[in-house]
Amino acid sequence: MKQTEVCSAIKNISKIQPAELDKTAGGYGDFEWWGLSPEAARKVMVNKSKALTDKTTTTKEAVNRFVKDGMNIAIGGFVNTRPPVSIIHEIIRHGAKDLTLSFQSNSICPELLAGAMLLYPNQVSIKRVELAWWGYEVIGIAPLLRHLNANGMIMMDDYTNYGMSARFKAAAMGIEFIPVRDHGGSSMELTNRGKMIKSPFSGKHTYLVPACYPDLGLIHATAADKFGNCRIFGAHCTCPEIAMASAHTVVTAEQIISNENIRTYPNLTEIPFSAVDAVIEQRFGSYPGICYGHHWFDMEHILMFRSASDEFRKSGNTDKLKKYYDEYIFGCETFDDFIGKLPYKTLKKMRDLDGGQPIITA
Amino acid sequence: MSAQYTPFEMIAYTGSRVLEDNKIVFVGTGLPIIASMHAQLTHAPGLGLIFEAGPLAPIMDMGMPLSVGDTRACRKACFLKGLCGVFELTQRGHSDFAFIGGAQIDMYGNINSTFEGGTYINAKTRFPGSGGAGAMAANCEKTIAIMALEPRRFSNELDFVTSIGYGDGSPDYREKAGVSGSGPYRVITNEALFGFDEKTRRMVLLEVLPGRTADDIQKKVSFELIISPDLKEMAEPSADDLKLLREKCDPDGYFLARKLK
Repeated sequence: MKQTEVCSAIKNISKIQPAELDKTAGGYGDFEWWGLSPEAARKVMVNKSKALTDKTTTTKEAVNRFVKDGMNIAIGGFVNTRPPVSIIHEIIRHGAKDLTLSFQSNSICPELLAGAMLLYPNQVSIKRVELAWWGYEVIGIAPLLRHLNANGMIMMDDYTNYGMSARFKAAAMGIEFIPVRDHGGSSMELTNRGKMIKSPFSGKHTYLVPACYPDLGLIHATAADKFGNCRIFGAHCTCPEIAMASAHTVVTAEQIISNENIRTYPNLTEIPFSAVDAVIEQRFGSYPGICYGHHWFDMEHILMFRSASDEFRKSGNTDKLKKYYDEYIFGCETFDDFIGKLPYKTLKKMRDLDGGQPIITA
Repeated sequence: MSAQYTPFEMIAYTGSRVLEDNKIVFVGTGLPIIASMHAQLTHAPGLGLIFEAGPLAPIMDMGMPLSVGDTRACRKACFLKGLCGVFELTQRGHSDFAFIGGAQIDMYGNINSTFEGGTYINAKTRFPGSGGAGAMAANCEKTIAIMALEPRRFSNELDFVTSIGYGDGSPDYREKAGVSGSGPYRVITNEALFGFDEKTRRMVLLEVLPGRTADDIQKKVSFELIISPDLKEMAEPSADDLKLLREKCDPDGYFLARKLK
């Protein structure tokens, strides 16, 4: 169980038994970084070339270069908004085991990895997840998360959406932890890796969450130049913080724009080139999710994948789920091949539903 | 004469009644958005919304957002950053109301949206998790919750406290927790509206659906309710209200047309 001298009165109402608390992320032995330590992350950054070099590449090359077993992968976007789906497809084709996933709220990305883990455990596996929320919002709960959790197949460390965002922000700031005004008085105070302290200034109770320094950040941006300077329109989610928190960051962008344009509106750069290691121009890179200014989400496609996942959860029958992976992931060499399988009418409808939100790319 | 309405329409209408003009409400997906849109179209045109992925005070002229980060939730906002931006506004006192849902609530307004049954490690039914709710309940000034009225949900003991209410009811619970908002304010169901007693911080029955009694409501709640000495009947939506809800707020019926389980 977590050893803290200071705590709220949560123990008065918590139902969780001490023996169970020992098995939670917060109660399991001494504190451990689930990604890099602040020192190790700084060292990686210091040792990188800061040159303005052309970082454009293919998703396959970027994944080959940066994805390794056992790493902490941070997933950008928020639920169905700008999820980095194209990179997730490539990671599944490439294979990656014993992963730690970190994100605030996401839908299709962790579900795709979870499905790959259940179907092809020698190819993909998730060891643990630090998160706030995993589901599809209006479309429903995430069936594969429910399956993994019910069967004790992954360790989960729960925070709030602000908690996870603040953890990435702390790492982007190069610090070890950050005080937040949530988690205290909830069961997360007992189960997660944060800690209650007495403020050294006022003596008041203050909850600290540890920074999250992932090995690899995955971001889908509205636009980027070839050096990695990124623009994000619509909700920023926690993308700037994740990109700057991670040891390495791979960006897919809906569009590559000129560096001259970036320099015309420097205030619009949300992620600087020095935080980015690879840039891929990938239209529809967050499909079936949303990309503001470009397209709305494809509810029918998400429903198809979700219902195949739910059928597996309820019956153990993998046929439909397998068919999805065979058709849309393993049956494709690139993400463009996947998008190429979609009817024109689907893509047109998604574009129309965006309503042509104003974005600045020229 | 009252018009025919569904349980979810009653919840949305009641949610709208609870909100106030010229305030800021931080909304979760679904009914909280619909209630806020209805309030903006009727008695609270100056109500601003926050969606947790980044926008403050958008204009929802493309219809109801389906996600709290989607294009419709961001369009024509006054301020649009990311999660850190808007949650930090709540810590600083910018958000008057949190408007959230959950799976279970106790008499002190603590809410569970993490899991039900089994243990935290191996849950029988794992839910998506806190999302923004835990942070909203901590730091928006007042928390409004929507819940289905069933004994299983109005529970004596939560499997997990995801969103802080008044904790164990002790006067300094929230202070010791390090949170900054004042806490639970209203709980909305289709058959009753609840508030909280200032002295004991326990849930109080304020209003019942016309035709129901306090006893009817108590039967659907596992803990003992305080009954307001001034118990009222819930106001019902007019034909105009229903027209707004059905045609302007949720024309595709994603939330309002659902059946109660």
